[in-house]
Amino acid sequence: MKSAVWKSALLGGMSLLALAAQAAAGEVRVTVAEYSNKTGPYFAEIEKSFEAANPGIDVQIEVVPWDVLLQKLTTDITAGTNADLSIIGTRWLIDFVQQGIAEPLDGYITPEFKDRFIETFLSPSVLEGKTYGLPIAASARAMYYNKDILSKAGVENPPSTWAELQDAAKKIKESGQDAFGFGLQGKEIETDVYYYYAMWSMGTEILNADGTSGLSTPGALEAAKLYKSLIDEGLTEPGVTSLSREDVQNLFKQGKLGMMITAPFLSNQIKEEAPDLKYGVAAIPAGPSGARGTYGVTDSVIMFQNSKNKEEAWKLLDYLFQTEQRAKFTEGEGFLPVNKEVAKGEYFVNNADLAAFTALLPDARFAPVIPGWEEIAQITSDAMQKIYLGKPEDIEPTLKDAAAKADAILKK
Amino acid sequence: MNHRALPYLLTLPSLLLAAVVIFWPVYDLIQISTHEVSRFGQLREYNDFANYTALLEDPEFTNALLRTGLWTLLVVGGALLISIPVAMILNMDFYGRSAARVIIMLPWAVSLTMTAIVWRWALNGESGMLNSALRGLGIIDVNIQWLASASTAFPMQVLIGILVTVPFTTTIFLGGLSSIPDDLYEASALEGATPVQQFRYITFPLLKPFVNIAIVLNTIYVFNSFPIIWVMTQGGPANSTDILVTHLYKLAFRIGKLGEASAVSLVMFAILLVFTFIYVRLAMRETRA
Repeated sequence: MKSAVWKSALLGGMSLLALAAQAAAGEVRVTVAEYSNKTGPYFAEIEKSFEAANPGIDVQIEVVPWDVLLQKLTTDITAGTNADLSIIGTRWLIDFVQQGIAEPLDGYITPEFKDRFIETFLSPSVLEGKTYGLPIAASARAMYYNKDILSKAGVENPPSTWAELQDAAKKIKESGQDAFGFGLQGKEIETDVYYYYAMWSMGTEILNADGTSGLSTPGALEAAKLYKSLIDEGLTEPGVTSLSREDVQNLFKQGKLGMMITAPFLSNQIKEEAPDLKYGVAAIPAGPSGARGTYGVTDSVIMFQNSKNKEEAWKLLDYLFQTEQRAKFTEGEGFLPVNKEVAKGEYFVNNADLAAFTALLPDARFAPVIPGWEEIAQITSDAMQKIYLGKPEDIEPTLKDAAAKADAILKK
Repeated sequence: MNHRALPYLLTLPSLLLAAVVIFWPVYDLIQISTHEVSRFGQLREYNDFANYTALLEDPEFTNALLRTGLWTLLVVGGALLISIPVAMILNMDFYGRSAARVIIMLPWAVSLTMTAIVWRWALNGESGMLNSALRGLGIIDVNIQWLASASTAFPMQVLIGILVTVPFTTTIFLGGLSSIPDDLYEASALEGATPVQQFRYITFPLLKPFVNIAIVLNTIYVFNSFPIIWVMTQGGPANSTDILVTHLYKLAFRIGKLGEASAVSLVMFAILLVFTFIYVRLAMRETRA
């Protein structure tokens, strides 16, 4: 008797859930990441204009902060209540593909459609010969420098190598300005990436040619020692492990940092929040061998395999990836153009800041497409925090330990 | 009407509700934690408690477990030590008592996440309020990087934890104090009892059931408290301020090990269950004696 009551209660609850998950005909639900306060209004506009042009299709946009996007997707997918389309970090794509969650889009893509994209940015979304995502946002990293701080310190040109950077930071420190030389990020998302900039210029890749972790190579050690010496000589801001990327960017906007490495969207923020700041954008410093690397990132829109309205969803994608829509989004958010036509537009051709980023694209590395990448990134970030806080003699064992942990994941 | 069945019948609706919101998820967690699971929660084969052995072998889990114990002990203990005198003062009749009560209760009205975000700003090394206040007062010359290492970040988190736990605890004690009849104090004063003796022999013993409630409820809340540590340090740097909930969140939603994360949450559930059970037994025995 009792168990019958239980069962009926459970069944009742489940059927309610099932009802909620059932998509209405012609409805396209989209989960989008909130890149800035312009993202929501942009997609609201898209929803309005697309629905006006396509009566019968009801678009529903859910804007989710970046930090919780993966969590939301995980819980939605587990519960079977995911949307039809979603923005994801392209570095997560392999998990979505291996679990059969992302739908291959090749059936919909025409040669004309494919030709809209810049190859460098489309290729990370292609796995095993199939296109699973369309790059909606792309960015790379370059070095921002504060012209006033550098000139007051007697540095004429922005440093082009790490040795020059260290020298410039020393001069900034000696000039007694209320500013720090080099902004080093030591907390939260992309703490590992900030370290890769130095590591790549020492000739080490994230993965060695044999597929093991690059963290145990001499190049990785050199890079860690470089950052550690910058910290120990007081050439960075104090307390690096308490500063996230946004915190370092804020210091730069306040005119308290000589140099830092970050994404193109900082230009947009400076334009709005600190229009008087005199800054320039230059390449990421090179290592002794001339090697340098920047981090290329794309976010992709994927279609879910269990979507009930794939035709309608594709229509929306086709609309989203037209030049006009793309240009508006890319300019507003401060990303790099992923569409060829957008890149030819006046805004991008005449933008010196963005030119510095595009010039670095041949040196761009994307996050490796391997399962378990997020865990390896976390291990690397943790190792960096230990190194930044620890003693110089602990650098090597910390890196070796992290490499061993990463290798254990890579072997699986 | 059968009187013996009546209590069960009356509690049935809430039992059913509990079944849906508590037992069902717990059952689900047991399923996930004893199976191999995909990145997105699809169950694979049963895996001989591999998720649990993985936890035991992970030093980060053990560290987080011990730190959770410390965190709970310090926050609950600190909140109790502060709340008893605060409640006694607020129970006295003085000018502006209502205003004082409101001020003490205010941190409760603000969401925990907001409090944590404001503190994260206040503890910012270069532009934080706390550093500029300390500098203004001439207490420090060089900015303290509060959140840069666990040695300063964790104590601050504990202090903030205490701050937000005090209002609730004080409310419980205020209720307790108002239930103590004034005659007891008058009579003891006539017999020449000092305020310290009054506290020791009247206030504290009569407040004890309320202290017990406060300990049990606060332990459950604080043990599971996520926002303060997550917002301020995300358990970092290098996992040095991780407690079990933040460790669990990273396992599940950063790294995608849903099986191990479910195991952690069941371990937490078991610890709280055992704690509550033992504590309630002890407390009940005391009152009976």
